[in-house]
Amino acid sequence: MTVGSRKHGVGYYVITVVAILITIVMIFPLYWMVATSVKSAAESQLIIPTLFPHEFHFENYLNVLTRANFLKYYWNTIVMTAGVLILQIGTGTLAAYGFAFGKFKGRDIMFYIVLGALMIPLQVTFIPIFIMCSNWGLQDTFLGLILPEAVSAYYIFMMRNSFMAVDQSYVDAGLIDGLGRFGTIQHVLVPMCKATIFTVTLVTFSNGWNAYFWPKIIAKNEVRRVLTVGLAQLKTTFAGQAVSNYHEIMAGAVLAVLPLVILFMIFQKYMMTGYSKAAMK
Amino acid sequence: MKKTISLLLALVMLLGLCACSKSTGGQASQPPAQSSGGTENKDPAPADPGQYEVTEPITIIWWHALEDQYSADVERIVKGFNESQDLITVEAQYIGAYKDVNEALVSAHAAGSGLPAVCVANTDYVAQYGANGVFENLDPYIAGTGYDVNDFSTGLLLSSQYEGKQVAMPFLHSTQVIYYNKTMADEKGITIPEKIEDFEAFLKAGAEACGGYGTMIPGWDQWYFETLYLNEGVKIITDDNTCDLAGDTALKVTQQFRDWYDAGLIAWPFGPDASAGMRQTFYDGKTFSVMHTSSLYNNYVDKCDFEVGMAWYPAATTGGKNSEVGGCVLGIPAKNDQATKNAAWQFLQYLVGKEVNMDWAKVTGYIPTRNSVLTTDEGVKFLEEKPAFKCVFDNLNLINPRIQNAAWSELATTWKNYMDTIINQGGDVNSESEAMQEEIDEILADHG
Amino acid sequence: MTDSPARTPPSGQTGAQEKKPLFTARTKSKIVDFLFVVPALALLALFTYYPVAKLVQISFTDWNLLSPTWDWVGPKNWIWLFTGSGAKYLWNSLKVTFLYSAGEIFATLVGGMILALIFSRMTRGFSAMRAILFVPKYVAMSSCAVVFMWILNTDYGVLNYFLSLVGAAPVDWLGQKSTALLSVLMTTCWRVLGYGMMIYLSAMIGISPQYYEAAALDGATRTQQFFSITLPLLSPTTLFLLVTTFLSSMKVFQSVDILTSGGPSRSTEVFVYLIYRYAMVDFRMDRAATSAVMFFLILLGITVATMKYSNNTVNYDS
Repeated sequence: MTVGSRKHGVGYYVITVVAILITIVMIFPLYWMVATSVKSAAESQLIIPTLFPHEFHFENYLNVLTRANFLKYYWNTIVMTAGVLILQIGTGTLAAYGFAFGKFKGRDIMFYIVLGALMIPLQVTFIPIFIMCSNWGLQDTFLGLILPEAVSAYYIFMMRNSFMAVDQSYVDAGLIDGLGRFGTIQHVLVPMCKATIFTVTLVTFSNGWNAYFWPKIIAKNEVRRVLTVGLAQLKTTFAGQAVSNYHEIMAGAVLAVLPLVILFMIFQKYMMTGYSKAAMK
Repeated sequence: MKKTISLLLALVMLLGLCACSKSTGGQASQPPAQSSGGTENKDPAPADPGQYEVTEPITIIWWHALEDQYSADVERIVKGFNESQDLITVEAQYIGAYKDVNEALVSAHAAGSGLPAVCVANTDYVAQYGANGVFENLDPYIAGTGYDVNDFSTGLLLSSQYEGKQVAMPFLHSTQVIYYNKTMADEKGITIPEKIEDFEAFLKAGAEACGGYGTMIPGWDQWYFETLYLNEGVKIITDDNTCDLAGDTALKVTQQFRDWYDAGLIAWPFGPDASAGMRQTFYDGKTFSVMHTSSLYNNYVDKCDFEVGMAWYPAATTGGKNSEVGGCVLGIPAKNDQATKNAAWQFLQYLVGKEVNMDWAKVTGYIPTRNSVLTTDEGVKFLEEKPAFKCVFDNLNLINPRIQNAAWSELATTWKNYMDTIINQGGDVNSESEAMQEEIDEILADHG
Repeated sequence: MTDSPARTPPSGQTGAQEKKPLFTARTKSKIVDFLFVVPALALLALFTYYPVAKLVQISFTDWNLLSPTWDWVGPKNWIWLFTGSGAKYLWNSLKVTFLYSAGEIFATLVGGMILALIFSRMTRGFSAMRAILFVPKYVAMSSCAVVFMWILNTDYGVLNYFLSLVGAAPVDWLGQKSTALLSVLMTTCWRVLGYGMMIYLSAMIGISPQYYEAAALDGATRTQQFFSITLPLLSPTTLFLLVTTFLSSMKVFQSVDILTSGGPSRSTEVFVYLIYRYAMVDFRMDRAATSAVMFFLILLGITVATMKYSNNTVNYDS
């Protein structure tokens, strides 16, 4: 972008300094989270905070994992995210195929109905869904956590667009070769749209992992509490004994973000382009 | 094209219709059976004492609000019950604060599934649960099993009743007290005033002594300040089911709080971090005293590096110095099946029993619930261990039941939010109080 | 439902295909095609469209989650929403929501753009810094919220400590009306800035350097180039960010729930929180449903308006 002249002006260095400063400010909350998470209760409450922990108290993590049951929350989050992911990919890919290549009547109207769902978030409809799930006995169950999120209009939309970019002749060839529709999806479309599928799936995964609103409503009991909700409740869980237990809360926060941040580091390129791809569509 | 649209429209409408018919049927048919079932039970009960017996092995769930610090005690006490008999296995589940338990219980009640066999409830939810049939009426159980309730202190028993029905049993109880920095008080010769008229002078002396606040009044739970209104003669809910929190007397009290706040004499903690923040401020010696619940006595003593004193709230201008009972009761959610309820009743008796109650009183700051403790040598022994509780024991007969109204929790939410606006956010005392009264009247009318 | 493709009339949009032979096989194929979209449609009908109808129904009852029975009460809740005590909180939460929304949009669009300009250099160091700026997007909002709750803590918060270094008095960030919403926004900003930057950057890369070369030849300054080339060419990206950020900011709940619970004095009570409070705290399903329908109507109105606007100004393929 910037025209690369060998002799840099003052502006070049000013921008470098500004960029570094901004980066420091932006990374600070993450650093502070990690730093506090290994401090002792007393050290975390010093009037003049220690920017670097004097002692390392890794037992904070152990406390959160065992006494606050974060292990269970992990399991719940993993199952919920996996369930949501599998169902969204399943229903989404099939529907995307139908909308991209199906030739049935009213296809476009139905597609608009799917798009319409984009503007009816769960935050509007949660009351009847909560009542339905309650009547079906789905409170505090995995099914209750997963089912209302089983289909994503966003996923269908993105997949359909990416399928439509595939030339019709490939699909026809697949059908003529006797692959059938599922075979065509599996052996022709999916390999051709790998990049999109991957990024959209990562976004879906991250949304599932970070979900808070619905799990808070449907899974009030600890048996099916997820990480995000458990973290928000850490304060009450420990309240009383350690009044200001931010060192443990921060340990919980680190545990909650760790999987996603690791994932981000591995798939950095895909994840960063994933969003910009969405923007281009 | 058009046909498809109309087809879909028809589909949507069909779904809508299904929705209507389903809910009308489901909602209306289930619950009335529930509420009448409770009263019917009452009569045949004495005839057949065996009907509440547990005959088969069963596992039941107990929802509680005892935080992590009590987990070892909870475990020990539940284990004690599980080992005392063969049939019932109890599993204790920590749900969260009282508010969280309430939300979870009401949700489960509405669903009719996922209910615990025994559940704690903050004292002010009793009416709500009684009125709506969330908790089982325990009278038939008490009669059927010949359970002796006379040993419970009368006020506590009353506060777990709704319209004369025992819908819950007293479990862990506390009352409002003032904790103060006794070391500093002795040093500077400050005493907690007996009368509210002297309170301002006390606040000034306290604030000066510690260089912070005179006291802190919890704004996050109206329980801590409602008693100061009641003692002045404010009814909160009048006999004709309206609210008098914008009446002259109430306004005077509110104005008083506001003046103290404006003068920097008190703090009014509010918001998600308020409780922890207030305790920390006291530990750090930045407030001379705090108004809080007696159940946290052990916490305060453990955490403070100075001597902690405990005192009764000052008497109102009317001379009234009542307090209100706090803490929680235990109930059996009514939508459980009978076998679960029977097992629950066994466990409930154990939990509210004298030994377990004393156990709790020792490890926490909850007060013993039994007359046989309060008025006997055991009480003397208890006081020897925890001398600060003398102010509570001296005033036991002044601890009153809560206001029991099905609209209470909605009213309370509205009230404390407005109080925050008035005290902390500089809202106008008169106009905000009137808006609040209007809103509460509407809530009361909706429930009435 | 399934017979609709079978009764395909010879006219209409698919008319051309009808003339082909093997009519029955085609019909069968269409039905199979249709079956592919059925699971998604059925789930959407059940979990999206049916609840909306149900909400409308509840809004005409006096249903309290606690209470075993309910009655039809006509438009009582709607009157309450517009003229009763509900009105006050409705307008308040609308105001708060739009303020929040404006803040988030400003951060994403303006902040993102500025960061994109600063961090545009294609060196390894800058690439690493960009990655760091983008990480917050992947930090769960709940972690994010508790971290900021800690940073903003009045007594032990590190922000107040830094302020005290320059001589400022400690601020009760989350406890007073004037700063509570700002604090919530601060949390959001931290999360979205890097995201806005990335979106803008990847769009900027797509702009042909020829434009700039030509402008430079014409003697345009950097600033002039930015306003006459970069900004206009980025308008589809800006619109995309505007629409998506707006829609997601309308749904904000988590940060408010954890940081302030809607307080103090309802100064952070966004619309979703209002509905949540009516439904899950007060158990007033009647009031909650009425507010939810209102929320739906507002979202609908805004979406339709933006779609109309964007169709007129920006070209989209779908």
